[in-house]
Amino acid sequence: MLFYEEKDARETLKLRSLKKGEYHQDYPLYTVVRDNDKCIRCLACVRQCSYEATFYDPVRNVIYNKDEACVGCLRCVAICPTDAITVKRNDTKYRENENWREETIKAIKKQADFGAARLTGLGNDKGYKIYFDHMVLDASQVTNPSIDPLREPMELRTFLGRKPDSVKVEFRNGKLHLKEKIPPQLKLEVPVIFAPMSYGSINFNFQAALAIAAREAGTYFNTGEGGLHQKLREFGSNAIVQVASGRFGVDIDYLEAAAAVEIKIGQGAKPGIGGHLPGEKVTADISRTRMIPEGSDAISPAPHHDIYSIEDLRLLIYAIKEATRYTKPVSVKIAAVHNVAAIASGIARAGADIIVIDGFRGGTGAAPTIIRDHVGIPIELAIAQVDQRLRDEGIRNWVSLIAAGGIRSSADIVKIIALGADAVYIGTAAMVAVGCTLCQQCHRGICAWGITTNRPDLAKRINVDIAAEQLYNLLRGWAIEIREMLGLMGVNSIESLRGNRLKLRGVGLTQEELDVLGIKHAGLQ
Amino acid sequence: MKVVFPIEERCIDCHLCEVACIVEHSETKDPILAYMVEGLSFNEEWSAFTPDPHEALEAGKPKPLNRTRVRNNGAGVSFSMMCRHCEEPKCVEACKNGSLYIAEDGRILLNEDKCVGCWMCIMACPWGAISRNPTRGNVKGLERTAISHKCDLCPDREIPACVMACPTEALIYIEKEEIKNYEVRFSR
Repeated sequence: MLFYEEKDARETLKLRSLKKGEYHQDYPLYTVVRDNDKCIRCLACVRQCSYEATFYDPVRNVIYNKDEACVGCLRCVAICPTDAITVKRNDTKYRENENWREETIKAIKKQADFGAARLTGLGNDKGYKIYFDHMVLDASQVTNPSIDPLREPMELRTFLGRKPDSVKVEFRNGKLHLKEKIPPQLKLEVPVIFAPMSYGSINFNFQAALAIAAREAGTYFNTGEGGLHQKLREFGSNAIVQVASGRFGVDIDYLEAAAAVEIKIGQGAKPGIGGHLPGEKVTADISRTRMIPEGSDAISPAPHHDIYSIEDLRLLIYAIKEATRYTKPVSVKIAAVHNVAAIASGIARAGADIIVIDGFRGGTGAAPTIIRDHVGIPIELAIAQVDQRLRDEGIRNWVSLIAAGGIRSSADIVKIIALGADAVYIGTAAMVAVGCTLCQQCHRGICAWGITTNRPDLAKRINVDIAAEQLYNLLRGWAIEIREMLGLMGVNSIESLRGNRLKLRGVGLTQEELDVLGIKHAGLQ
Repeated sequence: MKVVFPIEERCIDCHLCEVACIVEHSETKDPILAYMVEGLSFNEEWSAFTPDPHEALEAGKPKPLNRTRVRNNGAGVSFSMMCRHCEEPKCVEACKNGSLYIAEDGRILLNEDKCVGCWMCIMACPWGAISRNPTRGNVKGLERTAISHKCDLCPDREIPACVMACPTEALIYIEKEEIKNYEVRFSR
């Protein structure tokens, strides 16, 4: 009761309500050091700080910082024309204690002051083992030739969707024709899709940039659960639209505008709980796109209340397929949890064409910190298990697998594809490409880099054209690197790498972990 | 002719165009010196630089000033405003001694030695793009009267400094005729 009816409980218990700024038990995490000899008092940093941490004192003619408000987003450092600013971790530390670390103590103190669940943005930042960093790739030497991708064709094109069990062909007019109709497919020139980030959690400018970059690079962007803005309908052929438990912005035009429809069951950062967009962020445009009243909280229910079983999921999948006349693949996105392999098998049998597995390092616009940091499993293990399970059951060709959550580089993409994924989602990497510095304040809606904010003056900080170019450059660079890596392994197509775990070796992994990943330890033949 | 055109939808109110303008029109072309040393005279008595622009002027080092200004309505609308280099300039019409003139390439320039600081151009400019330069006065006995001050499109540069400095490309250097055809993608 105390947690859910906070106001009433406070009244009955005669608790005083703490106001913003009354938070005084703790020391600031960051301290902003300004080189007074270099500072020209142009006040760019004061104007750019959206967290109200930087001030100008005209009497002393100095710029000073309220360190307790600083989140370490480094916007001031980036904008300073004379490089006068350094943001440092505060030297003050609680007494060393391996058990009671700084973040633990800070969390308790914060909660004691505010009495609410701590919210955060982005993905899990705890020091769990990153399996990507414990896997290495093979290369061709003497006995098998490597391929030079600059001189020979290298295929990155990927098709996502249900593949037939066998290929039946017939001769007609001297040409080979497929006997069966191939189910609808998504055609990707790079096996990278922009992850679901809803309009509302990110602003229009960033979503527009994602759309432009996706079209330029021949891939897709995912709208997230916030609907598709009318101005972005022209990018429908490069959009995957999401149907989440809140059903925000879903109507037949929305489904028909898209290239594919995704049913969002779970999110890696917060498996088992729904999205939450605070009412302050619901502006007129967002309310129109989401089809909810202006200023009202957009709270997605934790489950889909019409999906309590695989059979129910099948009903929704086929309802969407009927509505779109079987012209679009339907994907189902789940978070990586303990029995993800069995769930994925069920989803494949329920009629999904694509399954998205979101690992626990996947990002979010807002999630309770405790859930983000402690729920779910790593994507590497989940993909390895799902791929193996679907192969064992002989239904791997029924679905395509998309890996999401914690993909940081082209090497991660190559490794996860070798573990069995068809393509990947990148969300955090896309945000970093346009400026994000991982300060984890997305939930506050005042992102100083203009990404996760709808305040018009802050949203302007993303120039659609520049951001689209940066995103396109990222995809292009990664595509070149993937081609290089395929070439050195002697593979000329990404299809030949998929599920090819012999190309991977583990370093510093236990036998158990190697078994789960289905790879050998480095040094073994 | 090419002019600098501000795009409101992209301006983030950082004022780096002003910084770039000051640095470009300074003697040292160094931001720290332009801001912190130029235009300040060394006061022996205090052993410090004092911010008296007139003393600095006498020492031959006037404080560089910005010729563009970022306007902000406090509600998310901001843009950088500098001379539009009009084809039929009101300021030139208003200038009583010909210190404002149309150069051969179409730029509107100010002869700073000639300007008497009557500020009629400031009154006449429909854009509010001309400001006063308090570091300089040409009339004898009225040295502290400010002369006019306006954008000269950086004669030493191919592309004006403000355009190069803008982090979000909210200032573009564009042919006058092309401005009306220029489309900002997804503008409101």
